[in-house]
Amino acid sequence: MTSTDVLDVRAKALREKRRRRIASIIYIALGITLFFVAWVLLSLEASPWHYDIPPPFGAVGPFQDILQGVWGLFQGEGAIAHFWRNLGTSQDMKIKFVHACPDLHPANVNNPFRQIISSLMGWKYNADNLLPGQPSPVPIGQLPDYCYGYGIHLLVTIIRILIGAALGTIAGLAIGLSSLVFPKVAQVFTPVASFFGTAPIFIAAPFFVIWFGVEVPIMTTIGLVTFYTTLLMYFFSRRAAENIPVGIVESALTLGGTPRSIFRWVYLPGTVPEIAGGFRIALAGAWGLGVLVEVLGIQVGGGHLIDIWRFLIGQLQAPSALVALITFYGVLAVVVDGILLVLIRYLTRWSEAGRRLGL
Amino acid sequence: MSRVVSFEGLWCVFEHRSGQLVNALHDVNFEVQPGEFVCVVGRSGHGKTTLLRVLAGLQPPTAGQIRLGEVVVEGPGADRAMVFQQDTVFPWLHVRENVEFGLRALKVDDEERESTTAHWLDAVGLTDFADSWPRELSGGMRKRVALAAAMAVGSDVILMDEPFGSLDYFTRRNLHDVLLDLWEETQKTVFFVTHDIEEALILADRVILLAEGKLVDDIPVDLPRPRDEDVRASSAAVDITKTILAHLGITEEEATQV
Ligand SMILES: Nc1ncnc2c1ncn2[C@@H]1O[C@H](COP(=O)(O)OP(=O)(O)O)[C@@H](O)[C@H]1O
Ligand SMILES: [Mg+2]
Repeated sequence: MTSTDVLDVRAKALREKRRRRIASIIYIALGITLFFVAWVLLSLEASPWHYDIPPPFGAVGPFQDILQGVWGLFQGEGAIAHFWRNLGTSQDMKIKFVHACPDLHPANVNNPFRQIISSLMGWKYNADNLLPGQPSPVPIGQLPDYCYGYGIHLLVTIIRILIGAALGTIAGLAIGLSSLVFPKVAQVFTPVASFFGTAPIFIAAPFFVIWFGVEVPIMTTIGLVTFYTTLLMYFFSRRAAENIPVGIVESALTLGGTPRSIFRWVYLPGTVPEIAGGFRIALAGAWGLGVLVEVLGIQVGGGHLIDIWRFLIGQLQAPSALVALITFYGVLAVVVDGILLVLIRYLTRWSEAGRRLGL
Repeated sequence: MSRVVSFEGLWCVFEHRSGQLVNALHDVNFEVQPGEFVCVVGRSGHGKTTLLRVLAGLQPPTAGQIRLGEVVVEGPGADRAMVFQQDTVFPWLHVRENVEFGLRALKVDDEERESTTAHWLDAVGLTDFADSWPRELSGGMRKRVALAAAMAVGSDVILMDEPFGSLDYFTRRNLHDVLLDLWEETQKTVFFVTHDIEEALILADRVILLAEGKLVDDIPVDLPRPRDEDVRASSAAVDITKTILAHLGITEEEATQV
């Protein structure tokens, strides 16, 4: 084999890699197309879900007449356009809902950061003070426009879920990994985790809402997501550590490994693939869980939007952007997952198995 | 620096789930001088690994003790680095970081750590692979990594439990040369467990024979080095082989039948 042959082999491998990349882009495009085709079909007049599901797009362009007249496609405003138009401020919500975002008080209208914090925490304003307490209905016009937009709700949900998942991951890993060093921790925590872990979290969720109440989203949304991620990450980190061969730990010991150095150079890097894989699973669950809890009655957040639209469909025949919301969460989850995947690939580049696990 | 290793009335009894008691080590007494190359030979299941694990501090003895000089072995430590039979290289660390592990644990300063690591990587011939992942290496190369890691922590005693058992013949012979070079250079005491008599003849100053946990013979191997084919075919070498086979309960007829 000459060196030109070697170059040829390399070029071939490169072409193969490019081909696989193009193929994966085609698959993604195909998936997106199928999703929208299904959406259009469900929104057709012939579909039983016609009243609940608006078409994704309104008809525009040269074929508008044919599309609307002959095939009855794309009637009215498309859900995506509606969603987009109402993202910053929603006239629909302004007109139809006094309580669009009651957690936000006029005293702080110019301070969006405090508003987001307050709605995250479930704090209500009363007079000029930031206090936990009962929400006071805020008359229309006293709140800034964006309080009536869809965007603020979505942002609040995203932040809640990410905070919950982050807290839960830190707690789960801390408990899980420290239980390796201190067996007592495992003795205490494993039965607790097993007990709660056996009840599917989506069934337990409504009880959380009842226990903590809808007035304190920090306990319900963040609390529940934190709790759920803690359990999962505890199990994942323990299993990951248990899967490290005993021989490797013993080898580290005979090389003079201290608890600290073994933690840093053996347990930490060795458990990353499974922990990262577990985190992806936990986060996927956390999205669903967070939104679900909000649907159950929390006043601010993406889940609350679903609640609003349910009401809109029933009462006012206003356009629902429900499917647009689902699309939004879908895209968001895919983007976050994609970022995670890149991170996982980097962290597990040492292991073929870890790479596969991450996929 | 190097110390005498003394095994004093060492017992190790395992109770199996069935209630059966197994004497993995049965009153083992012997002493090893600094710089000796000791091969521990015996049939499978006769206590070789247990002896090494007790010495490594990974297994507490039921009775008796092991001393390094005046210090009684009470747990694992960098003064008794071990190379295992199975693959124990950390797959998540680069070759260089693997060799550095013990030095980091000992909190050696950066400069010394880097030069020590570079030295041992060179000594096992892996300088060009310092930044490779273990999965990119062959089994023999991973054993070199383990050997370099054990050497780098600067222990005066090196423990090896059938380290080359899973390798092919040529790789094994090649690693014997690497190991002997390192041993001659460093004058470390080596405990090398094997069930392969040829391997013992190539490596050992002295063969410790274990049968059912008992030390049944302690055979000096006074053969000239290097122990090439001619040396191993000499009558002195054949006598040692015969002695070992007899102790293992294998007569010559039996040996030829198998
Ligand atoms: N952890 C253990 N638990 C119970 N029995 C053991 C354990 N380790 C070793 N033994 C027993 O001790 C004896 C010696 O084992 P070992 O030292 O591994 O032998 P070798 O390395 O010579 O093959 C065997 O009979 C084995 O069953
Ligand atoms: Mg063994």
